[in-house]
Amino acid sequence: MTALLKLDDISVSIGNLGLLDRISLSVGRGQVVGLVGESGSGKSLTAMAAIGLLPLIGGRVTKGTVRFDGQDMAAMTETQRRKLRGARIGFVTQNPMTALDPVQRIGEQVDVVSRLHLGLSRADARARTLDLLTRLRIPEAGAVVDAWPHQLSGGMKQRIVIAMALAGDPDLIIADEPTTALDVTVQAQIIQILGSLVRERGVALLLITHDMGVVAQVCDRVAVLYAGRLAEEGPVGPIFAAPAHPYTAALIGCIPQDGMAKGSLTGIPGAVPSAAAFPAGCRFHPRCPRASDLCRNTPPMIVHRTAGQVACHHPGEAE
Amino acid sequence: MTAPMVKIDALSKRFQSGGGLFAKPRTMMAVREVTLSIGKGEVLGVVGESGCGKSTLARLVLRLIEPTSGRVTIDGTDITALSAGALRRIRRRMAMVFQDPYSSLDPRYSLADVLAEPLRLQGEVIAPARVDEMLASVGLPAALAASHPHQLSGGQRQRVGIARALALKPDFVVLDEPTASLDVSIQAQIIALLADLRDRLGLTYLFISHDLGLVRYFCDRIVVMYLGSVVEVLPDTRTAPRHPYTRALMDSNFAPDPARRRVIEMLTGEVPSPFALPPGCAFATRCPRASDRCRRDTPALGGDAAHPVACFHPL
Repeated sequence: MTALLKLDDISVSIGNLGLLDRISLSVGRGQVVGLVGESGSGKSLTAMAAIGLLPLIGGRVTKGTVRFDGQDMAAMTETQRRKLRGARIGFVTQNPMTALDPVQRIGEQVDVVSRLHLGLSRADARARTLDLLTRLRIPEAGAVVDAWPHQLSGGMKQRIVIAMALAGDPDLIIADEPTTALDVTVQAQIIQILGSLVRERGVALLLITHDMGVVAQVCDRVAVLYAGRLAEEGPVGPIFAAPAHPYTAALIGCIPQDGMAKGSLTGIPGAVPSAAAFPAGCRFHPRCPRASDLCRNTPPMIVHRTAGQVACHHPGEAE
Repeated sequence: MTAPMVKIDALSKRFQSGGGLFAKPRTMMAVREVTLSIGKGEVLGVVGESGCGKSTLARLVLRLIEPTSGRVTIDGTDITALSAGALRRIRRRMAMVFQDPYSSLDPRYSLADVLAEPLRLQGEVIAPARVDEMLASVGLPAALAASHPHQLSGGQRQRVGIARALALKPDFVVLDEPTASLDVSIQAQIIALLADLRDRLGLTYLFISHDLGLVRYFCDRIVVMYLGSVVEVLPDTRTAPRHPYTRALMDSNFAPDPARRRVIEMLTGEVPSPFALPPGCAFATRCPRASDRCRRDTPALGGDAAHPVACFHPL
């Protein structure tokens, strides 16, 4: 599969502070790639780097390249980048409550995307909106288009935000914790709908989440970030069956599961370090059960395996 | 089950909203006729989605808010009938850990102040070593005593919240979503700490959560709430659910195993507004098994006394 979005060995800084260090990952069409890690591990920053939004927060890519459909994002002008984001990239934010304009009817907010980016007429845009809302399993889509945002529940609003992201027929969708603000039953539905729409339409989806359960349910590949570095990346099957990186294993072990013995959920000791205080060597070593002197002194190299990559001096037997 | 320590009897809370010069106020029942008991040393879980009344229930049980009707007795004492002074004395025995460790700690207080406050309010003299002891009991170094909340991570803050709740050596603790705003890695740490404290101190917990997976891991019995009412009480963590809503909650939990992917049965329909509940079962608007009877009559919690369920068509 040719990658639609390809981050190749990128590092990101804000001021003199290095926040991301040599991250490589790619997302293909019809593929769902999960980006996971605890808060502060660099997930959202990686997404911002991917779509050239770092200048908004005073950040810059200091190394490596970001390619979208083969084009180097750094070689484009800001106008070109903005056009690319508008026409080819959809974005679903974490909080649907603030993503909608409170004084515009739902239908108009979704219509405008396809009118602007696909040049559709009013009537065609509305037909497209109704079709999208129906596919997102919004009951009585015909009535919902005339509703105001405050009349909808959180789950409904998030579906509208997803509809807006899809309306311009984007090639890539970036969803940043799209279900965190929602109730669990609604969360599961949205994840399922998003996953099937992406595959059906051949859209690439980069899904930022902290929930390994969601990753296992919907993603094809997963990139695990820790303190600004890639811990492990690859297809979900082998990674969940036998995680090579102790951090990946620990994240999976944090999810309570049926039949788990009481006391077996221990979590990961300590906390993610701040960027100003990244430890030497492997950044995970202070929290790692396998840490040795080598880990305390030397950062592990990223080792490419048949299907993925891992950065650990003492990886588990994944292959 | 051991002898009940906390008994909740037909507890209800009505809230009023809006109302003005010309507008009529609207009312909703946040908690409706809830009857439960919690055994000594038990961890009772209450699970449900936002708006189901679980946090209101938590506050009612400690009488942080006044019930509209019903009673709460703790070891035989009806706390809903106590005077302010008597309530304060019995409050030593009960405590609460709040959801958000960012807003539940005063930013101007040092940790030593935070932890000494409950003792001070009860008129106790604070021995200098006491704060260090309290910090150590939740796995925090004594060196943190002088720091302020903003210098702490979310997990550390929640540990402080727990230490504060335990300051007066209570035997009953209400935990209101104590891990909902934390990373899963930190959540697991906090749950392990709570389990350890229960074993060491013989605590009784009322654990409120939206996460059925977590509740099934941590609790002895599970109460499922939907729009203010109890719809099912699971006698242990292995029993299969009988209420369609509990089933839906369980199906919404994804196992971290790509080999066990499945298509979940979608709940259609919307959650009705708590201000305008339809007649009959509140879950009927989303329930795959709903019949005309469900839309007309309200099912009562009944059936097996150990595993009651409020449903006309249980699984």
